[in-house]
Amino acid sequence: MDLFEIRGGGGGGLDVISEEAEHQESRELKAMDPYNVASDRGRGAARDVSTFQRFSVDTNESLRFEPCEDSPPSPTGAEDGYDDDDDVFKEGETEREIVTTRSRLQGKVAEMENFAGHLEEIFLTVEENFGRQEQHLEQHYNDVLQTLSQRYDERAAGLEEEKKGKLEALYGQLLVCGRALDASKELIETAQEVYRSQDKRLFLKAVKPTIKRMEEFAKEEVDLTLSTRLEFDTPLADMSDVKTMMDSINVVPAPSAPVINPQMPNSASQTSLRVCWSLFSDDTVESYELYYRPVLEDTPADSTCAPYVNRVKVKETHCTVTDLLPNAQYELWVTATNTTGISPASERALYMTVPSPPVIKRRECTSCPEAAMIRWESGNTNPVDSYTVELSETSTDGTAGGVTESIVAVPTCQCLIQLQTGRRYLIAVRAVNIGGPSDKSDVITVSTTGTFFHLLEDTAHPCLSISEDGFTMFYGDEELPISAMALDDTFTRCVAVLGDLIPVRGRHYWEVEVDDGTEFRIGVSYEDTERNSFLGANKTSWCMRHILSPSRHKYEFLHNGWSPDLRITVNPVRIGVALDYERGTLSFFNVALEQHLHTFHCHFQNYVHPCFSLDNPGALTVHNSIEAPEYTFI
Amino acid sequence: MALTQVSSNKCAGGFQKVFEHDSTELKCKMKFAVYLPPQAETDKCPVLYWLSGLTCTEQNVITKAGSQLAAAEHGIIVVAPDTSPRGCNIEGEDESWDFGTGAGFYVDATQDPWKTNYRMYSYVTEELPKLINANFPSDPDRMSISGHSMGGHGALVCALKNPGKYKAVSAFSPICNPMQCPWGQKAFAGYLGSDRSTWEAYDATVLAGAYSGPQLDILIDQGRDDQFLSASQLLPDNLIAVCSEKKIPVVFRLQPGYDHSYFFIYSFMNDHIKHHAKYLNA
Repeated sequence: MDLFEIRGGGGGGLDVISEEAEHQESRELKAMDPYNVASDRGRGAARDVSTFQRFSVDTNESLRFEPCEDSPPSPTGAEDGYDDDDDVFKEGETEREIVTTRSRLQGKVAEMENFAGHLEEIFLTVEENFGRQEQHLEQHYNDVLQTLSQRYDERAAGLEEEKKGKLEALYGQLLVCGRALDASKELIETAQEVYRSQDKRLFLKAVKPTIKRMEEFAKEEVDLTLSTRLEFDTPLADMSDVKTMMDSINVVPAPSAPVINPQMPNSASQTSLRVCWSLFSDDTVESYELYYRPVLEDTPADSTCAPYVNRVKVKETHCTVTDLLPNAQYELWVTATNTTGISPASERALYMTVPSPPVIKRRECTSCPEAAMIRWESGNTNPVDSYTVELSETSTDGTAGGVTESIVAVPTCQCLIQLQTGRRYLIAVRAVNIGGPSDKSDVITVSTTGTFFHLLEDTAHPCLSISEDGFTMFYGDEELPISAMALDDTFTRCVAVLGDLIPVRGRHYWEVEVDDGTEFRIGVSYEDTERNSFLGANKTSWCMRHILSPSRHKYEFLHNGWSPDLRITVNPVRIGVALDYERGTLSFFNVALEQHLHTFHCHFQNYVHPCFSLDNPGALTVHNSIEAPEYTFI
Repeated sequence: MALTQVSSNKCAGGFQKVFEHDSTELKCKMKFAVYLPPQAETDKCPVLYWLSGLTCTEQNVITKAGSQLAAAEHGIIVVAPDTSPRGCNIEGEDESWDFGTGAGFYVDATQDPWKTNYRMYSYVTEELPKLINANFPSDPDRMSISGHSMGGHGALVCALKNPGKYKAVSAFSPICNPMQCPWGQKAFAGYLGSDRSTWEAYDATVLAGAYSGPQLDILIDQGRDDQFLSASQLLPDNLIAVCSEKKIPVVFRLQPGYDHSYFFIYSFMNDHIKHHAKYLNA
C-alpha cells in the first residue's frame, strides 16, 4: 500500500485505514526500514534517527489494534449493522443487548478514529523524515562529486604542467644536439678541405689549427642521454577524504549538547536525585554520561581540593544518582555520545537533595486542650528552607484515622498548633528545601484532654534533683557543692523549678502531689521572676505555701509577700491548680475533696509558668495531662 | 398554704419577690423573700436558703447583700425567711434584741411560752422547703444553705443535722459554738431550758464533732475587725479545731478590716454564691 495514499485519505478515509489496520504493524515496520519512523510520542523520549532499537515501545502499543471479533472492523459498517438489526430484535433483553453492542461499537469507533489519528501522525513524520534524509543524502553526494571533480581538475592541471616541462627539456636537448652536429659537420668539411689542399705550405699552415680544433671538439662531449624521464610522475591519489565523506553519508553527526532539566518537585530523596535531560530531536545518541559533584559553599573557587566529580553512564535520558549527602546542593551536567563522537557538555544544573528528617524534642513539647507547642531539632547541619508540621487525629486506641493536616512554611524549629479539645493527635515534622520535603520525623502523640508540660530543668535550684520521667522533684539534705551555685537561669535562694507551660491564653489545670509533711510553694510565676527571691515574695509570682508549725498546718496564698489569713481544716496532699488567663484567676483546690481553697485575681500581662518549690527536704510530684474538673472553672 | 405576694421587683434579669403566708409551724403570718433568676422561667432551679442574723427580717439580705447578680449568673433561687415568728403576743418577746422577736436562733423551742410558735428549725428545714417546692420552679433535690451570724449558726446546724439534705453550706461570721457564748447561752436557756445536753442538738461545733454523712465543704468568711468576734460571741476557732480533728473540710477566711455588717457580706457574697453553685449545679 502506498503510504501517501492513506495519508491522502486522512480522517475521511477511516474505513480504508481500519480495514487495513490488522496489517498495519508489519507494513509500518517495512515503511520504517529505510528511513526510520518515530511517532510524536516517540519523539518525546529518546528518538533515534538511524537505528531501530530506540523506537519507543509504547508507540507500538498505542498502535496495536485488536479487532472486535463479533463486530465488523469498519465503524461505518458497525453502525449500519445496528440500524438494520433494530427492527429484527424484540424488546427488553434484546434492546439492552443492542444498547451494549452499540456502546461497544461506539467505543471501537472511537478507538479506531484515535488509531487513524496516530497513523496520520506517523505518515506525516515518515514523510518529513524521508524528505529530510533525502536532502541530507543529496547534499552529501553533491559534496562528494564536487570534491572529486575538484580533485580531477587539480590532477589534470598538474599533469599538463609536467608534460610541458618535459617537452621543453627535450626541445632544448634537441637544439643542443643540432648545434653539435652542425659544428662537427663544419669541422669535417674544413678537414676535408685541408686534406684536399695541393699547396703543401698552405696545408701545413692550415693543418695545425684544424687539428687543434678537432682536438678541442673531441674534448667537447655531447650529452646524448635523455634529460627527462619518459614516465609521468603520478603520485598516488589521496582519496581518503573522499572516502570519509562517502562513509559519513551513512554515519550520523555527533550529538549536540543535551539540555539538562531543572530539578522537578519530588525528584529527590535524602541521598538520591533523579535527574532528567533531553536531546535535540535530530540527534542520535547511544549513551549519556552524567557528571555530578557537590557544591560546597566554603570551598574557594581556586581550591585544589575541589570536590571529586562522579560520572555515571546511562542509556536513558534520566538517571537516579545515589549515595549523596542530605540537604546538599549538587552541580550536574550531561554529555551525549554516539559512534561519531561526544557532544559538548550541557549547561550545569543545580539540584538539591532533601534534608534529613527533623528530630522532635519531646521534653520541650507542651500542650493544652486548645493547642500544642511542638519543638524540634533541624536534624541538618546546614539550614533548610522551612518545616512542615503534619498532624492527624487518632482514635484513643492508637489507630490512625482522619485526615492529615499540614502546616507549611514554618520558618523556625517550633510551631504552635491550634487543636480541638479532647482528641488525640499524631504529629510529625518534615524539613523542606527546594529539593522537597524530608522523611517524617518520629511521631509524637499529643492528647488534648489537659495541659501538659515538662519541668524546665535549666531553672532548677542546684539542690533539686528531678526524676527520670521529669515529673518528680527531690530536695535532698546533702551539702551543696559551691560550684553548683553559679548557673545562669537557676533559682538561687528558693529551692524551685519552673514548668514549661504552653504560651496559650486559655485555661490550664495541673495537679501537684505532696506528702503531708512537705513544706512547699506551688503556683505560677513570670518566666523572668527573680531567681534570688522566694516564690510569692514578689510581684512576679503567685503561690500557695504550706508551712508546718509545731501545732498545725498553715497555708498561705502568697503574692508580693502578702497572704490572706485563712484556715484549712483538711490538709490537701493533692492540689489542683487552675489558671484562667481570660478571667485572670489562679485557683487552688484540694483534689480529693474537690474543695476550693483560694483564688488569686490577677490579669496576667505576660505568660506565666507553673512553679514549684520545696522549703524543706522532701519530694513533690507534678501530674499532667489531666482534664480540668468542671468545678475548677465556675 | 396560700401565698400572698407582697412585692415583686425585676432584678438582675429575674424577679425579687416577697410573699406572706400563714405558717403552720409558727402559727403566725410569716414573710419570706424569694429571688427568681431568669433561668427559673424555663427550668427548675436549685434553691439556696439564706438565714439572716439577729434583728434582721427577710429585707436585709435582699436589699444589702447584693446576691442577685451572682444568683442570676448561676441560676439559683435564693429564699430568705424572717428570723423569728412575729406578732405572737408572747410576753417578753420584744424585750431584747437578742432574744424573742428577730432572734429565733433556728431552734424548735421546748420551753413555755415559746414552744408553740418558736419552731424556726422545723420552719426552715421542713415547712418552707415544701412551700417553695410547691409554688416555685425549684428542684427539690438541689438545695443548699447559708447565713450570717445567728443565721450562720442556723445554716451550719441545719446542714450538720441533716446529712445529705443540703448540697453545700457556707456562713458569714457564724455563731459557731453557741453553748459557749453569751448570745447562745441566753437563747438556748430560754428556748430549750436549763438542760445543757438539749443544747447540743443546736450547737454547730458539737454537731461537727459527731457528724457522719456525705462529705461537706464548708466555706466560712469572718471579718477580722468584727466586734462580736473579739467579744467571743462567734468562736470560730472551736469549730475549726473540731473540723480539723474530724477532717471535715472547712475553708475559713479571716478577712482583715471587715466588721460584722452587710458591707462585709456584700464584699464576699459572690464567692459564696459560687461555692454553692459548684455543688448545686454539679
